[in-house]
Amino acid sequence: MRNKNWLLLVLAIMLSAVLVACSDGGDTTEEDPGTDNEETEGTETDNEGTEGEEAAGEEKILRIAETAEIPSMDPILAEDSSSIQYQDTVYEGLYRLGEDGELVSGIAIKEETLVEEEGLKWTFTLRDDAVWSNGEPVTANDFVYAWQRAIDPENGSFYAPYLMNGVIKNAQEIAPQEEGVEATMKPEDLGVSAPDDHTLVVELEKPTPYFESFAAFPTFLPLNQEFVEAQGDQFALEVENMLFNGPFVMTEWAHEESWELVKNDQYWDKDNVSLDGISISVVKENSTAVSMYETDKIDRVGLNATNIDQFATSPELISIPENVTFWLKMNQDSANYSEYMQNENFRRAIAQAVNKQAFIDTVYGNSSKPANYLVPEGFVSHPDSSEDFRAANGDFLEFDLEAAQGYWEAAKEEIGFDEVTISFISGDTDTGMLITEFFQNELETNLPGLTLELKNVPFNERLEIQKRGEFELVFSGWGPDYADAISFIDMFVTDGPNNEMGYSNPEYDKLVKQVKGELALDPAARFEAMQEAERILLEEDAALAPIFQRERALLSKPYVVGMDELNPFGPDYSYKYVDIQK
Amino acid sequence: MGRFLLQRIVYMIITLFIIATATFFLMKLLPGTPFSDIATKASDAQLEILQERYGLNDPVPVQYANYIIGILQGDLGVSFQFDNRNVTDLIMDRIGPSAQLGLQAMVIGTVLGIMLGMVAALRHNSLLDYSANIAAVIGISIPSFIFAGLLQYYLGVELGWLPVAQWDGIQYTIMPTISLMIFPMAICARFMRTEMLEVLGSDYIELARAKGVNSASILFRHAMRNALIPVITVIGPMAVSLMTGTLVIEQIFAVPGLGEQFVRSINMNDYPMIMGTTLFFSVLFIGVVLLVDILYGVIDPRIRVSGGKK
Repeated sequence: MRNKNWLLLVLAIMLSAVLVACSDGGDTTEEDPGTDNEETEGTETDNEGTEGEEAAGEEKILRIAETAEIPSMDPILAEDSSSIQYQDTVYEGLYRLGEDGELVSGIAIKEETLVEEEGLKWTFTLRDDAVWSNGEPVTANDFVYAWQRAIDPENGSFYAPYLMNGVIKNAQEIAPQEEGVEATMKPEDLGVSAPDDHTLVVELEKPTPYFESFAAFPTFLPLNQEFVEAQGDQFALEVENMLFNGPFVMTEWAHEESWELVKNDQYWDKDNVSLDGISISVVKENSTAVSMYETDKIDRVGLNATNIDQFATSPELISIPENVTFWLKMNQDSANYSEYMQNENFRRAIAQAVNKQAFIDTVYGNSSKPANYLVPEGFVSHPDSSEDFRAANGDFLEFDLEAAQGYWEAAKEEIGFDEVTISFISGDTDTGMLITEFFQNELETNLPGLTLELKNVPFNERLEIQKRGEFELVFSGWGPDYADAISFIDMFVTDGPNNEMGYSNPEYDKLVKQVKGELALDPAARFEAMQEAERILLEEDAALAPIFQRERALLSKPYVVGMDELNPFGPDYSYKYVDIQK
Repeated sequence: MGRFLLQRIVYMIITLFIIATATFFLMKLLPGTPFSDIATKASDAQLEILQERYGLNDPVPVQYANYIIGILQGDLGVSFQFDNRNVTDLIMDRIGPSAQLGLQAMVIGTVLGIMLGMVAALRHNSLLDYSANIAAVIGISIPSFIFAGLLQYYLGVELGWLPVAQWDGIQYTIMPTISLMIFPMAICARFMRTEMLEVLGSDYIELARAKGVNSASILFRHAMRNALIPVITVIGPMAVSLMTGTLVIEQIFAVPGLGEQFVRSINMNDYPMIMGTTLFFSVLFIGVVLLVDILYGVIDPRIRVSGGKK
């Protein structure tokens, strides 16, 4: 071996390594999506019996690309848009979001819901034909168990206390969120009960008009107790550790690679589900996803600033507004510059010196809208007149260079400065850099004497800096979790956890308190109070500098129907109602 | 040889321990918490519960001790990004595609590179030599993602010969393999050419020629073997980094590999995942360095002497 066979040895090692690797790869890639469909007996014959050709021609499979793995399929741990989207697709709660983003019946029959005792007692009637994928019926006890599991602090749900506390009876006592407060009650004490298999009674702490949006949110999904407990800490980690009761079932989940959803033949409303399945691949690189769209491997693809230009004239380009507003927070609690930041003219100058359209063109290059408001357009409407939130309130703090410079001179005089350097925080991504450059150029040019000290930091660090209040200006945004303007308005109460900019106005606080309290039973007055609060925040106090409301630009094959709008909250799309019409 | 191995393995363990310790403390310096993605909406009490649950409230020395004990028991912990998922499983799930691509690229790249280098050396100063040289310089200086982008666009989108991306069989590995193999190929070609030129001009080759040894034997038995030493030094560590995945190539071709985990675990402050991937990489790296040392001995008996003598 010493002399002659060394080359052979090396080759043998290399070869065996390659072979091992190949057989490894083969295992994971050659799974036929059709072979292990234990969950959906109905489709099994389709996949095994008929030949691929015919089935492929008829089957309506929507193919999409996601940029990341689903973080969690456990309903109480859903915190991000992807988890919420796919849980909504394979599970079903009391209600779900309908074709136009409105709430419709799910497991509960919406028309039969009773609201009694001045909004404190909600009684849901559950349909009796809803079943889990193991054949067991979905009962009211499944909701009771799931909600108790959600609020149990041991289970680490973030959304459960965030949404339930102060709304559902005793939630606050079971999972107190204030520091140093001990729990005085057990999850079993939560104000939810099941008098019989098809009746669910929920008791609230106070009348909460938006409680019904919760009925369509993942945290409030039902769970089959026996099944969940049998799975232990493996619950929802793999396809075999999940039970489905929604329009689709998951048949395959190759982590961080792809997952397959197939129409659920046991679903009570299966006749209204058009798609036969949804096939999702994880593609992180946007340009790769675009290439896949061009070679007809996927049906939809999002576009970013770098590739939107080449599709500007494409008939397949669509633009979908999102209920997300971005703004500059102006920190009045700033350690060194509070004198400046607390000056109204100073803030007003900054807010009005930004050409918002130019910002969108420079940074995003899409059809996002300049925002002169806090609560996004098209998000909520007046309960009586059905007019959009924006209709009565209109625009505040729009771009007006002349006015801005006037305020700037006034601020200079009032505070007594010629030049000032304040910090500006934004992300360290490519977009973050573009944002910083834009604001530096825009503000320093338009407001003579102002210098921005730029800090581009990772997302994590930005949140920390915001929390510590160590900034003067920060670029950030907010998207709502339920269909109510209070989701935005509540942010800026004095010392609110998301205020982060030292804003405080007793009048504003009072309005928010009324909205969350006594106005609950007077939806119109409540709505108007929130409009008034927004007006105080922006018009009177110029506390926040709104910049833009985001739109999503994407390419969509013309045969994809029912995905032209985003839901106002919760899952982006309701796949139950999406169709392919070739 | 046995003693040499034993000694090296002890060194390996010490090195790993130092790496584990250094990574642990460096990791603690990262800004933010693993939970910042929900930090805007979660209350302090809630973050507190999470911190407690993952043992992040313990004093750092206690955390360190727990962590070292865990590693000794072969337990890398549970990932923070993917609730309840085991780090070991996550790595094992992801390593397959990365290793396959890495090996394919490595083997093809090295073999082609060595051949190219030898041909260039044998046809020294010919047109062939110059073109091989130019190709090597291009291969070294142009980053792999440029090739990846070009291949993807022309072969995938324009011509439609190969699938644009994803991971679903051997044809899906062709473009990523080509993009990845360019660099090792170019490096090997450069080294091989230089070394061959040097070796071919040395006395013992002259002697062999004078003795009338046939030229194939001279080339493969005498020259190539000596010229391979520096090449092996380079390709060992390179193999490790190729096999554990390359972020950019994996992203461009949507390959479900390990490369991305290295980067994302750091961005997300997923401590157990950072540790897991770092240790995994270190073990492979140190293992390969050891393998390279042993290979030196196989290729050149003169190197073997030092360890075995005492």
